[in-house]
Amino acid sequence: MNSRENILSRIAANKPDLLELPKVNPDVFIDGKNIIDEFTKKVEIAGGNLFEVVSNEDLISQVITMFPEAKINFSTLKGTESFNTLSVDANKAPQDFEDLDILILESNLGVAENGAVWLPDNNMPMRVLPFIAKHLVIALKKEAIVTFMHQGYQKLASEGTDFGVFISGPSKTADIEQSLVIGAHGALSLSVFLM
Amino acid sequence: MSHSKAASIFNKDEKKVNWHDKALWFVRHKRDKSTHTVAGWEELRNLGHGIKAHTLSNLDTYLIQFEENALKNGIQVHWAADGDEHNRIVHSILKEHHAKKVVKSKSMLTEECHLNPFLEADGIEVIDTDLGERIVQLAKEPPSHIVLPAIHKTKEEVDELFQEHLGTKPCDGDPQYLTGEARKHLREKFIQADAAITGVNFAIADTGGIVVCTNEGNADMGAHIAPVHIACMGVEKLIPKQEHLGVFLRLLARSATGQHITTYSSHFKKPREGAKMHIVIVDNGRTEQLSRPDFRASLHCIRCGACMNTCPIYRRSGGHSYDATIPGPIGSILSPGKDLKKHSSLPFASTLCGSCSDVCPVKIDIHAQLYKWRQIITKETPQPFVKKTSMKMMGNIFSKPMQFNKVGGIARWSLRNLPKGVINSKPNVWGKGRDLPIGPKESFDTWYKNRKKDE
Amino acid sequence: MLVGLFIPCYINQLYPQVGKATLELLEKLNVEVVYPSGQTCCGQPMANSGYEYESLGTCTNFVEKFKEFDYIVTPSGSCAYHVKKHYDILPESEEVTKVRNNIYELCDFLVNVLKVKNVGARFPYKVGIHKSCHGLRGLRLGSCSEKVTETYSYIGELLNEVTDVEIIELTRPDECCGFGGTFAVTEEAISVKMGKDRVQDHLDNGAEVITATDTSCLMHLEGLVTRNKQPLKIRHIAEILNSIE
Repeated sequence: MNSRENILSRIAANKPDLLELPKVNPDVFIDGKNIIDEFTKKVEIAGGNLFEVVSNEDLISQVITMFPEAKINFSTLKGTESFNTLSVDANKAPQDFEDLDILILESNLGVAENGAVWLPDNNMPMRVLPFIAKHLVIALKKEAIVTFMHQGYQKLASEGTDFGVFISGPSKTADIEQSLVIGAHGALSLSVFLM
Repeated sequence: MSHSKAASIFNKDEKKVNWHDKALWFVRHKRDKSTHTVAGWEELRNLGHGIKAHTLSNLDTYLIQFEENALKNGIQVHWAADGDEHNRIVHSILKEHHAKKVVKSKSMLTEECHLNPFLEADGIEVIDTDLGERIVQLAKEPPSHIVLPAIHKTKEEVDELFQEHLGTKPCDGDPQYLTGEARKHLREKFIQADAAITGVNFAIADTGGIVVCTNEGNADMGAHIAPVHIACMGVEKLIPKQEHLGVFLRLLARSATGQHITTYSSHFKKPREGAKMHIVIVDNGRTEQLSRPDFRASLHCIRCGACMNTCPIYRRSGGHSYDATIPGPIGSILSPGKDLKKHSSLPFASTLCGSCSDVCPVKIDIHAQLYKWRQIITKETPQPFVKKTSMKMMGNIFSKPMQFNKVGGIARWSLRNLPKGVINSKPNVWGKGRDLPIGPKESFDTWYKNRKKDE
Repeated sequence: MLVGLFIPCYINQLYPQVGKATLELLEKLNVEVVYPSGQTCCGQPMANSGYEYESLGTCTNFVEKFKEFDYIVTPSGSCAYHVKKHYDILPESEEVTKVRNNIYELCDFLVNVLKVKNVGARFPYKVGIHKSCHGLRGLRLGSCSEKVTETYSYIGELLNEVTDVEIIELTRPDECCGFGGTFAVTEEAISVKMGKDRVQDHLDNGAEVITATDTSCLMHLEGLVTRNKQPLKIRHIAEILNSIE
């Protein structure tokens, strides 16, 4: 018997009688908090910055002011092509983006309770980008914010994403004496622009 | 070495004990602050418990479903009965891809299987990329905590380690500087890696996908750059559906560090174009633990570490005092299932205060299981003669009221009349740091009987 | 209503004043209370050390002595919890079930059965409440800091009604004191350190007296306070509630 059969047969022999799978009722978590206020607060708690803008152009001009020293930039937002200093195509390796200063991506889902935004890989030309970029900028429509993770996954149920990530704030660590340091391996800053 | 012995050595440096206790209490406090703002937190814990209990009761079916979906997604799936087989599988995947340089993100499973030394023996470089894990790797120590692997190290110690191994400048332990230097050092490792190994926080049966949670982004930096991604998981990581992540991701980070969610919760379903992905599913004693009705709930654990942060003993004895891959309360109910004799002192490293069970996001009855392991250990492992006989004597005395009164009288007389030096002499361990009460002349029993007579 | 008074072994022998206070307090509240002769221990010392099977005789004796009563009241959360939780080692019988259902820790009995909070006591001191773990997390005699529930505390509610008492807040409201039965001896270093830290928390917050529902915790803390000559008095909650200082 190979290990697969071995493990499966041991489980079959050792498991208890079937227990019921509890149903998740998200209504029990309703707390009446204002969804935009809560999202804003949680993005900031997670170490991110939050801004409100009216258009993509508005967003780009604010980003340029925020990071005057940035040289290598890439955005997937419509109408912001002039911002890009490089192209992302299939010939490039993930390592090639090591010096990416600013990455702007769009998210279709934000979660108020924890300030996380969802980035599926069809919104980004290469999976490594939001992690390897120095500064990550996310554009998010206010209507795309849900209250809890439960509603978030309800929205994702119909999406067949190959890879996706919830990101809440910039990369961080507290592994040295519990001192919070922003910028471990991933982005040094995260800015969410609400539209 | 028994836990109590290791703990008493750790307690020789009271300042360090205080520092360690405060660092972990701070994490517990952050956990309280974030959980107390969640309406329905206790219901969330009930759900976490219920979903895990259900999953275990149908685990074989879910594993088959998971494998089927993962294969459909283009992921290769491997099964390992024990740690040794796990290591051989990982090694052969690396060989197949001619991988010499490996970056690894946090995985308690690979710690449990001792993967690093196995690969290093064949000249493969394995770099732990979580900052805390890198610190303990450089120090040649095991992690002392499952979420905060280097919580036992002071910043000055990290400073020295980095000077020695990474050539950093002396900085009085400036965490900002040290983290920045680690970023540079590890960035180079990520860029050059031939393969990335990650753990798995959750494996979803109905999608065949896995979720990996980090704050640093190290799992993603490894997995999205290297041409091969190997994810290693214990069989108990399964959950039935993607929607259940809604429950577990709400519980995990809040319990672990007080964050509302980890910075990155990465959902891997298919390998990226041109890259390979492997999943290794490991038993290594888990199916045996599943066979034990009193202890199977220990397999609910989502590795948040909250029971360590809250445990008054863990905080004052340090993770290394447990001499087990998973230290602290949860480790003390898991480890005896693997090697009862080696870990026989662990279930006794507790006052059964129950804080671990109340803090646990998936409601594992940790302290009740500690109590149950004690009953097994006294029967199945050799016990000190003194303990065994004194317990038998005590059982006898308390069964017979007359004897109880007699022995009680002698004890009170001794406490009242013997000199303190005799009472607190060496065999009386209690007296090392504490006084004993002064024995009263009269027991309650006698007082009550006299009072009745007088009536 | 006939109440059987259970005085735990170590209180009986070493702290009879706690037993007396409990009895007098109950009598003051017009409870018909009897101390059944021949009682010894609940069996916990053996069971928590892993020798449950050596405690069978003790548990049988306990049931024998207390099976007749409507309620069993004891000034110990830990012993009450042990009877409730662990008497499943005895063959299940009507008597065993009755005893397990009817045993109450003193404060629990006052607040939830007698439904009294003001017992007419006076105690003009600053008091810190040590929330003994088995009573707290086992019997839920109060809300636990780990759980997200409404806040309550039976011992706190009773103490609050005592004239001239000042209840002090602790930095860590419900951390274990480190007694833990044989743990106090087998893990001596940690046990002592935990106790020292508990005492310090009370001192730092200005307590003059430490109280609790369990004399076992208090014996441990008193041992430290006496050894280290610290300015704290140790009183079981029954002694305070029975006090008219």
